[in-house]
Amino acid sequence: MPDFPHNQSAHCESGVAANLLTHQGIPMSEAMAFGIGGGLFFGYLPFIRINGLPLVTYRAAAGHILHRIAATPGVHMVEKKFRNQDEAMAELDRALAAGIPVGLQTGVFWLPYFPKALRFHFNAHNLVVYGKEGNDYLISDPVFPEPVRCPAQDLARARFASGALAPKGKMYYLTQVPAKLERRPLIVSGIQSVCRMMLAVPFPLIGVKGIRFLAGRMVRWPQRLGQDSADLHLGHVVRMQEEIGTGGGGFRFMYAAFLQESAEVMDAPLLHNCAASMTTAGDTWREFAAMAARICKKRARPDDSYPAMAECLNRCAALEKTVFTELRQWTKQHP
Amino acid sequence: MDPLQRELLELICTTCNLHDVDLDQIGPDAPLIGPDSPLGTDSLDALEIAVTVQKEYGVRMDSENTSRVVLQSVAHLADYIMANR
Repeated sequence: MPDFPHNQSAHCESGVAANLLTHQGIPMSEAMAFGIGGGLFFGYLPFIRINGLPLVTYRAAAGHILHRIAATPGVHMVEKKFRNQDEAMAELDRALAAGIPVGLQTGVFWLPYFPKALRFHFNAHNLVVYGKEGNDYLISDPVFPEPVRCPAQDLARARFASGALAPKGKMYYLTQVPAKLERRPLIVSGIQSVCRMMLAVPFPLIGVKGIRFLAGRMVRWPQRLGQDSADLHLGHVVRMQEEIGTGGGGFRFMYAAFLQESAEVMDAPLLHNCAASMTTAGDTWREFAAMAARICKKRARPDDSYPAMAECLNRCAALEKTVFTELRQWTKQHP
Repeated sequence: MDPLQRELLELICTTCNLHDVDLDQIGPDAPLIGPDSPLGTDSLDALEIAVTVQKEYGVRMDSENTSRVVLQSVAHLADYIMANR
């Protein structure tokens, strides 16, 4: 059986990036891939609707982490998309025959090894195919504890799932990596990228401003939308936070792990402090989500309310503003 | 089922307002969350359980040990708490 370092991860894209680099002889944790890939984000985009509900995202757009890693000096990543399904599968087979593990973008709904309850229409799920036995592809799907198998016709269907973020057969693989990856400039650049998105985008729906904007909108939902629709919107925000990928709290914890690891690499105690603050932010996001879950489940406690949730979100915004302001200052001292 | 596992099941039922559950019928390896769970709990319940466990036992389910992994069963959850508190 071909050898591939399968490590379970919390988020598919950072997990695939870390596993592909590790396979190339550059050991990398998921948190480090997430951080240098500039994976953290917040955006509330009510003009984009998912099942009629506004888009809320807690991480960078699909593909952002991989693109940043592919842009690293000395790294070369081949990326291909296809119109023809047979051609896409043949190209995958050719790469596997050459011993190259291949990253794929897929639609979760069509992957039969996912439990039925977890199969939803999300077309930006990343995995690595590292071999083929008979009609089955051998897959390192980072959200699973062990490697899995997938019949060819199911994988082909998942690669050509239709709808939002349709993968169009997208495959990618590393053809070149440096003998030694110098992490320090990548860490600084990854932090700068997230600081820009969280603090400096003038658009009010993005970053720290976006968190505050959502808080302001949310507090008026019961009056504007009616209680049932407000609860529906709230449930959607929480599901996007805690269920899709690793969720808002989860991404904050992962970024904290990245800062912790970076503090050692950079010998920078400030990053330890920022990691602790980011963990507090993750806890606050989760506190918000738990309150929202109780309201959605009609078991609210006396102190649970839309204004209390908005207050919680404003605390998240304040915490993240402080962390990213400190990090931005720090990056200016480490150009 | 050991005492911690039993205590956790009771905590989960209290947290999620589950009043009609016969705890003696739930094995330590039964799924805690999802359609196969005898508790009938979903991802929103999982979130509340994660927060309650952190408050009661001081153990956080973070990016490496997500609630998806830790809340597979009450046995998994108990092991995780024992290993991390």
